[in-house]
Amino acid sequence: MEELLLYPVFVPMVCGVIAYMMGKWKKGMRDMFVSTAVGLELLLVLTLLTNPEMEGARLTIEGFCGLALSLRDGQFHTLMALLTATGWFTATIFCKEYMPHVQNQNRFYLFWLITLGATIGIFLSADLFTTFLFFELMSLTSFVFVIQTEEPEALKAGETYLAVAVIGGLCTLTGLVLLYAQLGTLSIEQLGYAAANATNRKELWVAGILVLVGFAAKAGVAPLHIWLPTAHPAAPAPASAVLSGILIKTGIYGILVLTTTVFLYDVAWGALMTGLGIITMVLGAVLAVCSIDIKRTLACSSISQIGFILVGTGMVCLLGEHNVLAADGTILHIVNHSLIKMMLFPIAGIIHLTSHTYDLNELRGFGRNKPLLAVVMFIPMLSLSGLPSLNGYVSKTLLHESIVALIHESSVPVSWVLTGVEWLFLFTGGLTFAYMMKLFFCLFVDKGNRNWTSNGEYMAEGSTAMLLTYSTLLIMFGLMPNDTMDTIAAFARSFLSGAMPNHEIAYFSWVNVRGSLYSLGIGAVIFIVVVRKLLYRKGIYYDPIPQKFSIEMGVYRPVLKFLGQLFIVVATLVDCLPFRLLSQTMPRCIDIWLTGLSHIRTYLASKLMGEEQMTHSNVEQVADDYHFAFYDDKPQKPIGFVHSLAFGLMLTGFGLCFCLAFILLHK
Amino acid sequence: MSAFWLVASILLPILGGLCSMTLHHTNTRRWFASVLLVVELFIVAILVPQYTGQLVLLKLTGGIRFVLQVDGLGRFFAPLICMIWFAVAVFAYEYMNHEGHKERFIGFYLMTLGTLMGICFAGNLVTLYMFYEAMTLMSVPLVLHIGTPKAFHAAYRYLGFSVAGAGLGLLGQFVLQNYCTTDLFTPGGVLDVEAVAEHSTLLFVVFVVMAIGFGCKAGMFPLHGWLPVAHPVAPAPASAVLSGLITKMGIVALLRVVYYLYGWEFLRDSWAQKTILVLSLLTIILGSSLAMREDTLKKRLAYSTISQVSYVIFGLMLFHPIALAGALLQVLFHAIAKNTLFMATGSIIYKTHLTQVSQMRGVGKSCGITMWCFTIASLSLIGIPATGGFVSKWYLTQGALHGIEKTWAWIGIGVLMISALLTAGYLLPIVVDAFFPGKNFDVSALKKQEDTWLMWITLCLLTAMTVIYGVMPTLLNHWIHPIIQSLF
Repeated sequence: MEELLLYPVFVPMVCGVIAYMMGKWKKGMRDMFVSTAVGLELLLVLTLLTNPEMEGARLTIEGFCGLALSLRDGQFHTLMALLTATGWFTATIFCKEYMPHVQNQNRFYLFWLITLGATIGIFLSADLFTTFLFFELMSLTSFVFVIQTEEPEALKAGETYLAVAVIGGLCTLTGLVLLYAQLGTLSIEQLGYAAANATNRKELWVAGILVLVGFAAKAGVAPLHIWLPTAHPAAPAPASAVLSGILIKTGIYGILVLTTTVFLYDVAWGALMTGLGIITMVLGAVLAVCSIDIKRTLACSSISQIGFILVGTGMVCLLGEHNVLAADGTILHIVNHSLIKMMLFPIAGIIHLTSHTYDLNELRGFGRNKPLLAVVMFIPMLSLSGLPSLNGYVSKTLLHESIVALIHESSVPVSWVLTGVEWLFLFTGGLTFAYMMKLFFCLFVDKGNRNWTSNGEYMAEGSTAMLLTYSTLLIMFGLMPNDTMDTIAAFARSFLSGAMPNHEIAYFSWVNVRGSLYSLGIGAVIFIVVVRKLLYRKGIYYDPIPQKFSIEMGVYRPVLKFLGQLFIVVATLVDCLPFRLLSQTMPRCIDIWLTGLSHIRTYLASKLMGEEQMTHSNVEQVADDYHFAFYDDKPQKPIGFVHSLAFGLMLTGFGLCFCLAFILLHK
Repeated sequence: MSAFWLVASILLPILGGLCSMTLHHTNTRRWFASVLLVVELFIVAILVPQYTGQLVLLKLTGGIRFVLQVDGLGRFFAPLICMIWFAVAVFAYEYMNHEGHKERFIGFYLMTLGTLMGICFAGNLVTLYMFYEAMTLMSVPLVLHIGTPKAFHAAYRYLGFSVAGAGLGLLGQFVLQNYCTTDLFTPGGVLDVEAVAEHSTLLFVVFVVMAIGFGCKAGMFPLHGWLPVAHPVAPAPASAVLSGLITKMGIVALLRVVYYLYGWEFLRDSWAQKTILVLSLLTIILGSSLAMREDTLKKRLAYSTISQVSYVIFGLMLFHPIALAGALLQVLFHAIAKNTLFMATGSIIYKTHLTQVSQMRGVGKSCGITMWCFTIASLSLIGIPATGGFVSKWYLTQGALHGIEKTWAWIGIGVLMISALLTAGYLLPIVVDAFFPGKNFDVSALKKQEDTWLMWITLCLLTAMTVIYGVMPTLLNHWIHPIIQSLF
């Protein structure tokens, strides 16, 4: 039965190749085939979920890629696989509407399906080695999503994406090599035990940080988030949806594995995660508030939400064994963010289909007579902002509660810091509300210059159905959290070492609602003061952050370029030095010596015999034969000797002389 | 009878090569060479491995004799060489159409194979040296093939460096002879413990000299200068085998010296080991950095070879079973990947006459299959998983961490990773530009020629090998295990 685990990973990859060949022949058939393949994938994952025999099943193929391929079913793994398959399914439905406007669809669908298989492989992996294999595959194949349109921006974004993927991947690989050498295993089940018994924590940390770099870069953790804001606007909308909704979660998966195994309950690691989380959370939100491109706003929002998830991860570590709130919050926020972004990015795509722009200033008033669009956009926006009665509220409340719980547990100086964290958390929640309102006002309230009165359909039936289903789901999850969201959390919780909670959480108690209201209140103030007053002048939104002012353009690219040049210059020097010494300095010395010698001889001869004597011609003049001494394009070049057979033989001669000297001296 | 096959495996290609120079009819020559290579592969893979024992061909004086023997190393290298030689030959049939002098090329090409077999099956260093020099002489015409002044320059450079390097190796043999119990290659080394005791410093010096000498063929710093000159002028099939296999003969010689003459226990933790490790690490970085500089694709690949072959030297100098396995896998996977890359380059040159990296924008649209193979081979060189290169690098790093002091291991891993990054830096932009030339790129402006199936079928086969062996390296166990078991 375990072989069943291989199907969801490898079936889509095979289907991808088939779809590619099919597409060369008949396009309509390929589209049908891709939809069927993704539907089949969803069924396969559901089989894993529902088949009782598969509960906790494991599959190991020894020797795969040098170590082993091992997959497992159950808990968090299946949940994430299900989320992936669902997300891909909805995005594929949306592809039908969006992709006909994009060139090179064949290529896109090939990589679309391979990436699906690889992503499922990451989530089902039972050891970090397998995770890494699929992670690299996914990184490289999803590169095609980013560069798909081949616009200049896409080429540039692709460059960044590929660089981050390759550098991050190599860091992770280095870390894994060190980890495997230290602990002797990479299996998720055994890593925790092995790490607890490890003698040298310092080396473990080096390895851990290196592994973290690759995963964090993929997840979009600051300061490695650089690829997100450029890659998302460049990719076709369905691809941005899965990039943001699912692919960045693979990085989170890797971070969670590290957190719950190698650094289980490690306070320093928890603090690091929380710190990174806060920076990412605030930075992403600020960028999103400033952005004037709808897709860029959503991408920055993803960065910010990853920050929330990381704070939760930090809390999982810091709270020790009573971390159920944090564990549930982290898992549910992953799920919620994925669901919400799977709605918002397709909506952005739909807007682009009609308007051919993502620019907020051009889009003003786009949705003024499109009530359906307003509803399906408003629900996920509010949900992400954490309005009670929607699903985003549930996970944010859990995360908030876990911070509060930690404040109660810790002593005075630490608890002050944590209170600061709590307020930053609420403040960022406010920022979320502010940038979402900015989008909403821009699209549905402002009056634009262009006339957007739609003549006909602006949304295909498939997409409408999909968005309405998702909206219902969000509301249902939000209204009945104890029946729905808690069940999901309970299913996946043990992966994060969360124990059973003592009692059901009262999500709609005043204490919890109050937190959300604070956050929304802050958001409303920021929206009115900052967005409407400062960033909106004379009817135009403008971005206060100059385009050149980015960590990528300012730091990473110059540093990498400099290092590359440095390597080249130093290597060139080292490369030339011994050869120059041998080939130019030595012949020149010999030359000078010979000339000197002949001068002396001439002098002596004239002194002794009293007459002028012709000097003999030197070696080079004797060997003035084209094929004996000069082999360059310009004959008579003074260093031609170096390129000659004579020189090669001279080197041999040196070798033999050394040899002779050796033998004589040694005997 | 198997003694006969052993001699035949060396003589067959040499005599066959001589014969093929007289065959002027294209198809006859192609069939002749193909059949010969298949027979050779059959002999080397099936018949020769059965031979156990030493075959003394000739005794010159008391200490100097020509001996052939078959051991694990020969059983690993010889079939590998024959297989790739066959693949490249099939590619060359088509490619050489635009170079001319096809008889001469195929003739020397086959004769070179014979000398390579001799190196694989050599029983002592004198025999190895003889075949080593013969290999150099036989392969010079391959480099010289196009006959321009540049080619002459490159060929003499190649000849000079090779002869000098081999001379250094021979020099070591003169000294070493006095300290050995036997001249035959024996796993674990043949040093006479009593005689060695007082002269260990001398022997270390000799070792470093020999390693640098044989390292010349493998492109190790400081004698790496011939590679970037010789590769760009040679026809693509010649560069492919030069880079993929002939450089590996330096590795064979080094393996023989390290593991079969000195014995790794004698060298472990000595300054000689560290010197060669430093040189190999330096070469790794040097090659990768210089490759970034080059715009001529073949030159870039030549520098890449310098870097990649030094991975092997690094691995075999760690004296650890895992590292040695990594080194041998690197030999195999680099041979396959580099042959693929050179042949893909050749195929592009053949179809579009583009030689510079900067001209290759959009080439993926006109030579799709070729560029796909190029891409996968590039990923293998970088060490991205599911290709062979990843496996060998995984073993090398694991071997480093287990085989040597921590500081050295960490430096080694750092160097390997930086080099991987540089490798990505000089190979991936080619791939990206080729497949994603940008929206406004005029695809129809690309030159397009008819499909040349002889070329891409070999490319596809080699690429498939990269992936299949990369996914399931356990398939190679029966080749690599015997070598490692006999040595550790």
